[in-house]
Amino acid sequence: MTTGDAVEVDSLVVRYGDTVAVNGISFRARHGEVTALLGRNGAGKTSTIECCEGLRRASSGTIRVLGHDPLREHLHVAARVGVMLQDGGVGPGARVGTLIRHYCAVHDRGVDPDELVRRVGLGGRTKHAWRRLSGGERQRLSLALALAAAPDVAFLDEPTAGLDLDGREMVRDVLGELTSRGCAVVLASHDLDEVQRVAHRVVILHNGVVVANDTIGALCSGGRRLEDVFREVTR
Amino acid sequence: MRLVRLQTRMELLQILRNYEQLLLVMIIPLFVLVFFGNVDVLPGSTTIAQLTASVLTLAVVSSAMVSLGISTGFDRSYNVLKRLGASPLGRRRLVAAKILAVIVVQIVQCGVLLTVASLIGWRTSTGAALLTLVPAVALGSLACGGLGLTLAGRLRAEVNLAVQNGLYLVLVVAGGVVVPADDLPGPLGRVAELLPTGALATAITGALNGGATMRSWLVLGIWAVALPLVAARTFRFDATP
Repeated sequence: MTTGDAVEVDSLVVRYGDTVAVNGISFRARHGEVTALLGRNGAGKTSTIECCEGLRRASSGTIRVLGHDPLREHLHVAARVGVMLQDGGVGPGARVGTLIRHYCAVHDRGVDPDELVRRVGLGGRTKHAWRRLSGGERQRLSLALALAAAPDVAFLDEPTAGLDLDGREMVRDVLGELTSRGCAVVLASHDLDEVQRVAHRVVILHNGVVVANDTIGALCSGGRRLEDVFREVTR
Repeated sequence: MRLVRLQTRMELLQILRNYEQLLLVMIIPLFVLVFFGNVDVLPGSTTIAQLTASVLTLAVVSSAMVSLGISTGFDRSYNVLKRLGASPLGRRRLVAAKILAVIVVQIVQCGVLLTVASLIGWRTSTGAALLTLVPAVALGSLACGGLGLTLAGRLRAEVNLAVQNGLYLVLVVAGGVVVPADDLPGPLGRVAELLPTGALATAITGALNGGATMRSWLVLGIWAVALPLVAARTFRFDATP
């Protein structure tokens, strides 16, 4: 199993015109761990993740994913990286089965589409179009598209949003499976109770800077709730 | 190449499953050809060869501009482009796949339309002249595709849909497509000759009838270079800034 840093972010700055969304942040995400990126709306989480996914150009700073620049060396990185966007990234007419088969073929990492459909609990929905799925089923499909990469690094934006109890349990199981085989999971979430259950390390962003970066054990020592820690550092 | 082939197949599948796109790229051109080929309502000088050229132009505008532009606009707004951009496919291969899908659609369009045209009386001139149909359609597709993607890459999906459909109607009626630029009244005809659609219709008419005007090729060539360049410079893959 691979160990060490899978994602290395150093002095990352992202500007949109005069607005500084991310202001010189640095953090690491290790193989075999879930690293949660937390922050209020507009804190810079999505901008940071999109730079790591090679979707957005950083204004300055460096990012290495699996040892490569995700923008310049996209092909080296993308095949081994699973991406779950906050808003799906699926057209309303796309059918579940077709889409999962397509992403498995694009990543070409030996993932069996039928097994993947079953794994995320969409067995009876393969012929359904995206527009006919419930919110929870759409989340399951988005997660399946990330898992189609058999990822060494997975960027999951709000993976439990809109999921029922069974769905959340499925996500927890999937995260456990991913980390047990060495995958580095970077997840952005507002669901702090869930994060406290699944994360190994937490990076909290506030107004584009890192205000906390530690293991979940250290942050929540003495029985503190992550929500209380979060409120304290983002006041 | 494997990734481009996979995505091209996916793009074609989406077109086949989308009845609006099928209507646009195949049914409307076919209807115009069959209807006007049998009902004598177009200006008296319009021959079956001119009608065939007009319908081929209509088909190119339908597939390269409107169909590509509208589907890409919605793909952009639903973040499909963004999601695929994060996959090994990447943005360049995604664009290549979309272009290849348009080429496949146009091969089918030309095959079906020319076959039906021949059934209602159109006869080819010379094989060599017919060969110039290929560069005419290619240049026309570059120009129309550039225009469609320029709009799709900047406008909100719903606005893009309305603008593409509106532009389609204007170009079809007054842009030298169904009614040749020569038959349009005075200044309208002169403007139509300078539009990508007017120049394309003239080039295709030349190809089907034998001989084509240098001026129409020049106008078409300029649009075929300029509009894709504008699209490349202005296109945003992301629906958010």
